[in-house]
Amino acid sequence: MSLLEAITARIDDCVVAAWVDIRTGSVVEQRPARSEPFVAPALDAAIEVMRSPERPPRMVLLSDRHVHVIQRTAHDPNRVLVVICARSPNLGLAVSQVRALLEAERA
Amino acid sequence: MIANPVPSAPVAIEVLHALGRVPSDACGALVRKHPDGTVAGAMLVERGRVCWAMSQHYPRRLTDILVDEEHTLTHDQLNELFAMCRRDHMPLGETLVARGLISLPVLHRALLRHTCEALDCLVREEASPWAWVPHSGFGYHPMLTFSPAEVVTGVRAIANPALAARAMARLAEVVRPDQHGFAIERLRGVKVPLAQLHCEGLDMVALGDLAIHADEVMAVADTIGVKIALAQLGELACASWIEHDVLFVLLCGGELAFNRLVAQASAMTVHP
Repeated sequence: MSLLEAITARIDDCVVAAWVDIRTGSVVEQRPARSEPFVAPALDAAIEVMRSPERPPRMVLLSDRHVHVIQRTAHDPNRVLVVICARSPNLGLAVSQVRALLEAERA
Repeated sequence: MIANPVPSAPVAIEVLHALGRVPSDACGALVRKHPDGTVAGAMLVERGRVCWAMSQHYPRRLTDILVDEEHTLTHDQLNELFAMCRRDHMPLGETLVARGLISLPVLHRALLRHTCEALDCLVREEASPWAWVPHSGFGYHPMLTFSPAEVVTGVRAIANPALAARAMARLAEVVRPDQHGFAIERLRGVKVPLAQLHCEGLDMVALGDLAIHADEVMAVADTIGVKIALAQLGELACASWIEHDVLFVLLCGGELAFNRLVAQASAMTVHP
């Protein structure tokens, strides 16, 4: 199971999980492949936010309805994981799960 | 000559630039002069902290502000004490506190207000660029000197007291005792420090860099309806949000700082 599949399967509130390439500004892969209309601009915004190499490797963005977890990978700073979840009382858990799953993949 | 005053820049930015060029361990005065060579005013600095400021055109005396801040004090009482301190070479502030006439926090507030108001006058004067005049003695009580963060936000509060008070009230609502928080006024082309809480010991340049990053992130994030951005900066976690064109930044350290800040931010309401 790929990391994106693991994230969408294990995090109940996950709306989308994607790998983006900030060098090319493109979405490399996303799960599920089809998603709600707000997802494309949200992934573009994540790319724009992380385009600066000085940006911290781990960020969380909160809107009224969603939480966006954005994390640069250590081995390839141009490759960024973006996970968007619906906001719920388990928001903190979702953020921790994304980190744990990413670290498990690295190990 | 170490800095050219920029007439169009807010006074707070001018003060920040002047202080930024003073060596962190230095002791001396930043002086501005009138075209005829007379001193327009000065800002005394010891080890990166501001001790005092004076301006030829600043009309208020410290005693006026002390009476303003502490209603039980009278001008006669202060004038008498001032004369005695001068005669016996005693520091006025410490003597006031030692005699129980004023508390240390009130004295601190009065001195900061005097310094900021004098600086506001001095920066606006038609005078030379700041010149650094070093001297060797360190004489001010550290409790009665001010960090650049206190001075810069204090100066800005003179220009926009209502906005600064609102920003300070907001910081007081959200900043916990083990956290640092500051507010930045987002003016066209410039970001001006407006208020701070627990940032006295932090480096203003580092805070400025942090504010620039936070502002860039929020400018993008705002386009998709994001209200709060959180970032992990090594051992520190940072949250930022914008309310009424004021950027707020909250800093948190210690164990699980990022998780704690995520929990705190998720419970916050951001006022549009």
